[in-house]
Amino acid sequence: MATGLPTTNGHHPNGDDSNNFAVKAGLARMLKGGVIMDVVNAEQARVAEEAGAVAVMALERVPADIRANGGVARMSDPALIREIMDAVTIPVMAKARIGHFVECQILEALGVDYIDESEVLTPADHAHHVAKHGYKVPFVCGCRDLGEALRRIEEGAAMIRTKGEAGTGDVVEAVRHERAVRAEIERAAEILEEDGKANDATETSLRTMAKSMRVSYELLRQTAELKRLPVVNFAAGGIATPADAALMMQLGCDGVFVGSGIFKSGDAAKRAKAIVQAVTHYQDPKVLAEVSTGLGDAMVGINCESMKPGEKLAVRGW
Amino acid sequence: MTEQSRLVTVGVLALQGAFSEHLQLLRLAGVSLPIDDSDKITWSFTEVRTEEELSQCDALIIPGGESTTMSLVAERSGLLEPLRDFVKASRKPTWGTCAGLILLAESANRTKRGGQELVGGLDVRVNRNHFGRQVESFEADLDLPFLETLNDSSITREHVKPFHSVFIRAPVVEKILQPQQGIQDEEASVPETIIAPSKVAKINIHDSSIEKGVEVMARLPGEAVALSNKDITARATGDEGNIVAVRQGNVFATSFHPELTGDARIHTWWLDQVLKAIERS
Repeated sequence: MATGLPTTNGHHPNGDDSNNFAVKAGLARMLKGGVIMDVVNAEQARVAEEAGAVAVMALERVPADIRANGGVARMSDPALIREIMDAVTIPVMAKARIGHFVECQILEALGVDYIDESEVLTPADHAHHVAKHGYKVPFVCGCRDLGEALRRIEEGAAMIRTKGEAGTGDVVEAVRHERAVRAEIERAAEILEEDGKANDATETSLRTMAKSMRVSYELLRQTAELKRLPVVNFAAGGIATPADAALMMQLGCDGVFVGSGIFKSGDAAKRAKAIVQAVTHYQDPKVLAEVSTGLGDAMVGINCESMKPGEKLAVRGW
Repeated sequence: MTEQSRLVTVGVLALQGAFSEHLQLLRLAGVSLPIDDSDKITWSFTEVRTEEELSQCDALIIPGGESTTMSLVAERSGLLEPLRDFVKASRKPTWGTCAGLILLAESANRTKRGGQELVGGLDVRVNRNHFGRQVESFEADLDLPFLETLNDSSITREHVKPFHSVFIRAPVVEKILQPQQGIQDEEASVPETIIAPSKVAKINIHDSSIEKGVEVMARLPGEAVALSNKDITARATGDEGNIVAVRQGNVFATSFHPELTGDARIHTWWLDQVLKAIERS
């Protein structure tokens, strides 16, 4: 897992605590070391809860089906979300379209515990993400690189996940995104450390980097000092096996989202439990070998290399 | 020959949740703890995921996280019975925060369908997710008089300062139960309430404070909570306020998250309690 988040940085970088950022980022901290599972009905939600999921993502269709069905993918029917909220006692998350702030208002009114402003649904705004600070409910957003992650945090996201390539069962894109974020944090940290202390040259280099990422210098600097994202960072998009989950944990993620990987596989309950065990014991290959044994068929999946650019969901988001 | 240093190992259960935050504050507290013979203590703060790691520990923190996840993973990792031995048979110092409070309770309600496994150790009934969902999570300043017992004058003054606390989908202690040697059998008959299995303390461990029962260590003033759910408000904001910190013998628990504050005073106090317990044994 990643270097520890300092205990006190659950605050908006501009020092604005009026919107409970510590409480919003705090729930994400409680989910660390856990697995968040996509579910489409109460029955699946119960399977996820019994498997040890730390939260469920309530959806009408898992990403693999969204991909197969095509058309416009929107926020789920509130009746479905309510049914899932009634079925389990763990936190329930739900997805809104990128930029669709009214879907977010509706999800907040329903009382969901987290909103995922997600590229898996069809974007509703070609240029803007939702301004997230004003909501009481916390947000998680996807990213492909550090700039995207920090832009989402500035907008108010209290948790970040890699985008990966949802609904494929191919972990390659999640790995690419996590490695990209880490490489850029390292580069920023190196700039900071070059002269041992802040001086004009350091500041100029970092400001240039911040500008190219379209983020504030202050947030980039904070990230470089922490040597990690300043909020909880999960892996998502294409995770299908216990080994995939442990791979993302060893790469430095704080926890894992599993979408289509569980309920599109042969034995969902068994695979779900195995992935939960793998995320706790991600550094113990013996446990990983044990839980990877006899899981039945994994989801068939789509090789990301063979996809046309227009088929990729991760490119959505700005 | 130099004086022998005593190694004290404090574990943080690292199955899931905010364990790294506790480890960071323990390290701070370990340095700042004002004890006369501090040079004789060497602290080791460590993550606990296996029975073997637990067996190295003199004391344990069960952090915040999802209590259902922690109890399921503990069970599947062969840790549930070792945890019960640690807390209830060996009676080693244990502190639970939020999910940890739920796991350390002898009785709990509003758990998932089919209930969940509890470790037990505290004769209380805990109401899980008492305040509701995430949008009802909040921060509040608490008066914690027990922090004043730290016997160092240089920091005592600071203890007067209220403790800023974070409550996230937090449980509360709904009822203090009579101390029982075995299971809480009256609780077993309360609808939708689950209880922890019995585990008798080892004969050579005598701790009269367990028989004395549960001490209330902190309450949340009623007016501190602004709830959107009026049904809950009526019950939750009694004159005395909700019980949010308790102690019984070796077990201490808080329904809030001191690990999210950067304030290590409770960790410092608890490490002092750990040392006192080790001296007694």
